[in-house]
Amino acid sequence: MADLPRNRTPLVITALAAMGILFVALPLAALLVRAPWSHLIDELSSSGAWTALRLSIEVSLAAAALSLILGAPVAWVLARSKIPGRSVLRAIVILPLVLPPVVGGVGLLAALGRRGIAGRWLDAIGIQLTFTIWGAVVATTFVSIPLVILAVEAGLRSLDPRFEQAASTMGASRGYVLRHVTLPLLRPQLAAGLVLAWARALGEFGATITFAGNLAGRTQTLPLAVYQARQTDPGAAILTSLLLVAMSLIVLVSMRDRVFAR
Amino acid sequence: MGGTRSIALLLGISLALLACGSGDGASGGGATELTVFAAASLSDAMTRIGSDFEAAHPGTNVTFNFGASNDLASAIESEGTADVFASASDTYMDDVSDRVGVERRVDFAQNQLVVITPPDNPAGITSLDDLAAPGVQVVLAAEGVPVGDYARQSLENAGIEDAVLSNVVSDEEDDSSVVAKIIAGEADAAIVYTSDVTSGVAPQVGSVAIPDDVNVVATYPIAVMSTTLHADLARAFVEYVSGSEGEATLADLGFLPAPAS
Repeated sequence: MADLPRNRTPLVITALAAMGILFVALPLAALLVRAPWSHLIDELSSSGAWTALRLSIEVSLAAAALSLILGAPVAWVLARSKIPGRSVLRAIVILPLVLPPVVGGVGLLAALGRRGIAGRWLDAIGIQLTFTIWGAVVATTFVSIPLVILAVEAGLRSLDPRFEQAASTMGASRGYVLRHVTLPLLRPQLAAGLVLAWARALGEFGATITFAGNLAGRTQTLPLAVYQARQTDPGAAILTSLLLVAMSLIVLVSMRDRVFAR
Repeated sequence: MGGTRSIALLLGISLALLACGSGDGASGGGATELTVFAAASLSDAMTRIGSDFEAAHPGTNVTFNFGASNDLASAIESEGTADVFASASDTYMDDVSDRVGVERRVDFAQNQLVVITPPDNPAGITSLDDLAAPGVQVVLAAEGVPVGDYARQSLENAGIEDAVLSNVVSDEEDDSSVVAKIIAGEADAAIVYTSDVTSGVAPQVGSVAIPDDVNVVATYPIAVMSTTLHADLARAFVEYVSGSEGEATLADLGFLPAPAS
């Protein structure tokens, strides 16, 4: 095994890989080339990018946390319970991953908007989600939660049940097994789900602008700030985009190969 | 080994592919394709005028790209794919005129602003001034979008700009999104063009007129792009829109006639 030649990637794979990397990297490099670096600080502060950055961090962290709190139990049910129609249920909760986010936004308006089928009850008790930071969190969570569900369900399925069985045979309560056996064993997948959800939440645009609207300082996260800056100031749009690229890159690099190469 | 060589080879191949991709000037299929970039507020009117024009000019296919005029102007400047541009404001036509070049520029319609509310008018809006009352949730188009700038101008004329702007809950990307928020009942009031209250929209919203002395009149210019490959057809389209047929359709949809020039 150790003697296997390491540098024998077929030419066609090298060629296609280079094309693939170029395809993804070129637009990012173009942003770097076109950015008005000399006005970096003025452009970013005048376009309200810092406010949007702070809001993006708050919204994405809240959405990632909410995705984990609600998504991990869903993964548990999908992996372990014997309820009928499980594959349909899985398809439904994974759907936000493939739907255009604007569809999620329209659905959320119909459900939780002021006139929505559930939202009118919230409105009656004085809770309004639309046009608030909570609306942005809800919209973003809708889009990020499938990533937690997928990661954690895969983790639960690959977990060796004998550890948990051994613990209960020795008299541990179900809560004890969960806290001291299952969750620690699941930690890599929980972390992966959380980080992927966080990264996805940072980039969320369609559901947020549709459900929560676009107001600087309240619901205007970085992607929305890019969109609005594009209307009036292309230079600021590029710099704000780079800010978002940098943030997302930090999040993705922080999980390194640990998440993907198990 | 050979990694860098294969990358170089690959770059060569991709460039070659790019080169043949951009070679085809004329589109197939026989019909002449006319691409019109038009302000979102014109979508109903232009769609109708476009099919009338196609009927009057067999073998012509008019394709529209509707959006906020500012977006369209920057797309024309960077991509240059439009044959005709119809803008909701002189500003963006001026930009395109400076950077790309236009001909046959003419003002073809005017529009005014109106306040719209959900049909049940939850905030009890009866005048423009009511938008300044505390707690009213107002939606406007974002700054830089013509209807958004006109709305702010009108509020400034009425001397209630600050109070209303503090009631704004969302800066929307264009007038269609503003109307959508009101139809959904998510906000209490918005300012849009009278032409946005089309026959389809009218039953789903309430409207409150804005007094003439503070209202803003938007003028729509249209022009042929100097980069067009179908100059004759593009000129014919501009004439059609600014002529009697276009005017009739526009009047039908709530636009005012352009000032006599």
